[in-house]
Amino acid sequence: MEAHKNLNNVTLADIRSLLLEQGYITDESVSMSLFLSLQLNKPLLVEGPAGVGKTEIAKVMARALQTDLIRLQCYEGLDATHALYEWNYQRQLLHLKMVEREQQSVDEKEQTIFSDQFLMKRPLLQAITHSRKPVLLIDEVDRSDEEFESFLLEVLSEWQITIPEIGTITATHIPQVILTGNRTRELSEALRRRCLYLYIDYPDFEKEWLIVRQKVPQIDARLGEQICRFMQQLRQMKLEKTPGVAETLDWAMALTALHIDHLDKAIIEQTLGVLIKDWHDTRQVQMSLSELLEKTGVYSKLDNL
Amino acid sequence: MITRHTSLSRNIVHFCRFLRQKGFALGVEEETLALTSLTYIDYSNRDVFRIALKAVLCRSQLQLQEFDELFTHYWKEIDKALDSKVQTKAKPSLKPGVNEASFKALKSWLNGNKHEEEEQTASYSFQESFSRQDFSKVPADELQEMMRIIKALSRRLAAQANRRYEKTIKQTQPDLRRTLRKNMRLGGELLKIAFKKPKKNRIKLVILCDVSKSMELYSAFLLQFMYSFSQVYSRIETFAFSTSLQHLTPLLKKTDFAQALQTLSVQPTSWSGGTRIGESLHTFVTHYAQRLLNKQTIVIILSDGWDTGDVKLVQESMETIHARARKIIWLNPLAGYTAYKPQVAGMQAALPYIDVLAPVHNAESLQKLSQWLRL
Repeated sequence: MEAHKNLNNVTLADIRSLLLEQGYITDESVSMSLFLSLQLNKPLLVEGPAGVGKTEIAKVMARALQTDLIRLQCYEGLDATHALYEWNYQRQLLHLKMVEREQQSVDEKEQTIFSDQFLMKRPLLQAITHSRKPVLLIDEVDRSDEEFESFLLEVLSEWQITIPEIGTITATHIPQVILTGNRTRELSEALRRRCLYLYIDYPDFEKEWLIVRQKVPQIDARLGEQICRFMQQLRQMKLEKTPGVAETLDWAMALTALHIDHLDKAIIEQTLGVLIKDWHDTRQVQMSLSELLEKTGVYSKLDNL
Repeated sequence: MITRHTSLSRNIVHFCRFLRQKGFALGVEEETLALTSLTYIDYSNRDVFRIALKAVLCRSQLQLQEFDELFTHYWKEIDKALDSKVQTKAKPSLKPGVNEASFKALKSWLNGNKHEEEEQTASYSFQESFSRQDFSKVPADELQEMMRIIKALSRRLAAQANRRYEKTIKQTQPDLRRTLRKNMRLGGELLKIAFKKPKKNRIKLVILCDVSKSMELYSAFLLQFMYSFSQVYSRIETFAFSTSLQHLTPLLKKTDFAQALQTLSVQPTSWSGGTRIGESLHTFVTHYAQRLLNKQTIVIILSDGWDTGDVKLVQESMETIHARARKIIWLNPLAGYTAYKPQVAGMQAALPYIDVLAPVHNAESLQKLSQWLRL
């Protein structure tokens, strides 16, 4: 397990087995991208549809490297104060009140209240001042505004942050950065060029079945296989929100909890809410359910019994 | 061993150049990166070698898809060259340019056959006159340029609409940071309080674009406009209609434009068919209006008003939309002609509920849209 600590000795095979150990089923391109982003010290930009395990990569990575995961969730309107740092104003005020009677000069007071203990570190600052190399997950970066993206670009290239009251803070360890995106907005060329790029698509049948078996070990084999086949067919449909692996797992767990060992129309209809979360989609799936089941091969299997 | 090494690295640099010809944005930095990455992997294994280069050199999903083929192609050429001891150069297979009438070019472009090259040398004055060019009369060889202009313009427009502003009259939240700074010199006693107001822009846009036969010459440009706009401006919902209504938002936000167009052309909605504005608007009202429209929403309809359906439905739907939305802007390509009068039945029925009726026949008219895009 020494390899975990010394990054330079990690080999591609190590990454592969680490991912496997952590229960992350994947293919060559994922482990290669992770490996190279580690070795080249480049951020990794992961894109792909919702629910294919983009965020999971960062978690697995942190666990594999035995380090901490620091997460910055992006949203529209996210700005520097939420990503970098903020002064704890209330505490500063209280402190000023407390030392009111003491014979301190204004400058001295100023110095105390703008010290480390009044600084609230937000994810980015946390990441660069961390005691060891952390994994920094910048989740759904495409949801943030363009201004924030350019700001991020600056931080990702300089690895230092300037706080007017204190000065410039340079990174103690350069974090392992993973950015994820849903393609809600096209990211800038500049940001792309700074990163290695990885696209994760929905898994094929074999991979998904492996994932289900891994995460829901108590599942009935026939049910699991049927679920995965059904999902493959379902994703062929043009839905507003195509269900991801997370939905597959939820469904598998739900059906297993209900002690069901095979799919049929009634069960699917009753539990469709686990998979489909848009009413247009629900209607569409309900209407073409028989066809879907036929393609999944559920009926032919039942006939054989 | 050393000679083999150098030839490999030279080949990689050549390969990067080859990719550059194919539209990959690769600089010296990427070349260095590709070479560096080789020190970490077992490059004697062709598959590992390929996946490593793929991980380092690709920057988008499209490039990932193209990479494998390009890789095979290039190294096959190299192998051939080694065998015959003759230097074969990787040939950039340029597609023949589209030299037919503008209409045909537009159609082929719609189907995703775009020019391989993109000229970026247009001078300012050229753009000036170009932006007044009517969409229906754009010559085939300038199609790309027009698309580029619309793209740039809509991005600028969206950024403008996106700009956050601060209200100055209302005092809502105290700004602790500034308050503290202000009062520092007063010994920490809070005498002056600074206020901050949230910057916000709550304008939502709903765009309905007519893609029927009569709009054929315009719809490609308008779709480009909608696409580029929604790339920058997130509070937007887009629809296309001809005989029925189609929700475009997920498509335009997810994929790149060429891909989006391709998906659209295989959709069941009869593109370039007749128009049933009334039915389409009615679908919008029943399925989406409740959710999408409020007094912060501006509805933009891009249509010439030619309607083969029920005119009464147009009037009813427009009434509902008008009542729910902040503003209705109707952009009509025909309104660009000086002699134009909104006499078509569909247009007549809609007219009482329209806040702004403006032309949308060239790039300039799109640019003018910004003046209406506020509450």
